[in-house]
Amino acid sequence: MQSLLQQLKNLPKTGVITYEGESCAVSELIQKAAEIKHQNPQLYQGDIALGYTHLAEFVTALIAFDGWCSAIYLCPPNVAIPQGELIKWPLSGDAAMDDATKKQPVFSSSEVVQTKWYMATSGTTGEPKWYSHSFESLTASSKYSEQLQSMCWALLYQPFRFAGLQVVLQALLSGANLVDAAENEPLVQIALLKQNKTTAISATPSLWRQLLMTGQLGDLKLQYITLGGEIADQSVLDNLSRLFPKAKLRHIYASTETGVGLVVSDGLAGFPLTWLESLALPVALKVSDTQHLMVKPNFKVCQTLSAQTDPQGFVDTLDIVEIKEHRVLFIGRATGTINVGGNKVYPEKVEQVLMQSANVSQAKVYPKKSALMGELVVADITVLNADDPQQLKTQILINCKNQLQRFEIPTKINIVNNIAHDPSGKLNRKLNRKQQHD
Amino acid sequence: MTNLEQQIKHAMQQVADLSDCALVEPIEPTTLLLECGLDSLGYAMLVAQLEEDLGFDPFTELQIDIYPSTFAEFLAIYQQCANNQ
Repeated sequence: MQSLLQQLKNLPKTGVITYEGESCAVSELIQKAAEIKHQNPQLYQGDIALGYTHLAEFVTALIAFDGWCSAIYLCPPNVAIPQGELIKWPLSGDAAMDDATKKQPVFSSSEVVQTKWYMATSGTTGEPKWYSHSFESLTASSKYSEQLQSMCWALLYQPFRFAGLQVVLQALLSGANLVDAAENEPLVQIALLKQNKTTAISATPSLWRQLLMTGQLGDLKLQYITLGGEIADQSVLDNLSRLFPKAKLRHIYASTETGVGLVVSDGLAGFPLTWLESLALPVALKVSDTQHLMVKPNFKVCQTLSAQTDPQGFVDTLDIVEIKEHRVLFIGRATGTINVGGNKVYPEKVEQVLMQSANVSQAKVYPKKSALMGELVVADITVLNADDPQQLKTQILINCKNQLQRFEIPTKINIVNNIAHDPSGKLNRKLNRKQQHD
Repeated sequence: MTNLEQQIKHAMQQVADLSDCALVEPIEPTTLLLECGLDSLGYAMLVAQLEEDLGFDPFTELQIDIYPSTFAEFLAIYQQCANNQ
């Protein structure tokens, strides 16, 4: 497998990256990457904790470190760096001085290292879980063609997340241009995308709905439309295909943990039932007795997943599906995780905050279907004293605002008489999930 | 101002208070939704709040052909759904 650098060097032409009002050619970043390696030979075969500053620096580091370092941890801001001998990049002033004085290892630049890429998913307790990927698995769906080379991709996801990295790698490896609009509001995003003549966008269905709400999306001349990160419903797919009838419209099912991505391009929600028996896909699929989607990729999956792998090698994605009219449709997460516009919400975390109120005896948090954000957070609580329910709800919401991110705060709090538990005493989350989607 | 318009603006204020957002003054029919002071999560919360208040959610009950971009378009979608109730 060729490294990112080798693949870029093989391209007839590389693209341009635009970020924060600046533009730079990928060819310049390749040169800067070479300088990094020349100036920091002590990093060879090291494990790098890559912090994010801006897109050009991030891409430069990826070009420098893939195939040269043993591991790259793509660290989101404010996430604890995993334990171990990791070198933080960019180097702090002191570290740069210290490292520069270390004995420089002897190496040949032609020795390509099989770099492991690690990405974080936020865990139930707030502790991130790190999953390793190979460059091969990350770029399995990246393609090159003359037409793709002429594209300008919009980056609307943070690039250190799975979905954002996919966009960055697709743009880089096809020699296309890339414009970073990940941190902007929708109206600013649209203005940026128009200014840069964006022709390809990958976004969550919720983000697509926001872009549709600007009333200006049709001003773009989109040729590639990708939806991912959330369940794509038929309404948003129909709206986009009506607005851009000639564009390639794809929705992607991706599992960060397994590194699997399925691309559906027939404009219909879910994926065809025939895929469950297909041998033509890069991943074998089946549905378990408990309606979980099971996947068996043709590459080695992260060892962390061994506990959820069956004897035939199928990994449980923990995504619940249902089969309806020759389609396999996604319903939600078996873990109870709620997806608010692409942001994961762990019910347990919200329940803990609700339970801090002395008057709340039980709490259960579950999703409510939303046409705009996919899902929203709803809470049922039982209370000891229901004399002034409105005041209690207000107090609870103030506490939530102090401790939770906005998308985690329940949009509705129901005071109920009792909360259902399953026979093992656990909260019965499946019931609500099913009711929401029936 | 119609009763429905009043209810929507009242719910918008509730969501804005909860989200620590400030609504623009005044909200005209031609005001862009994304310039009213609420973001997309705010609108999702608004739709959920209005479902509580009015008993229907036009975004799930109707096949939305065009996503609303102005306040007048948003109101019209609710008006259409209210007429069908």
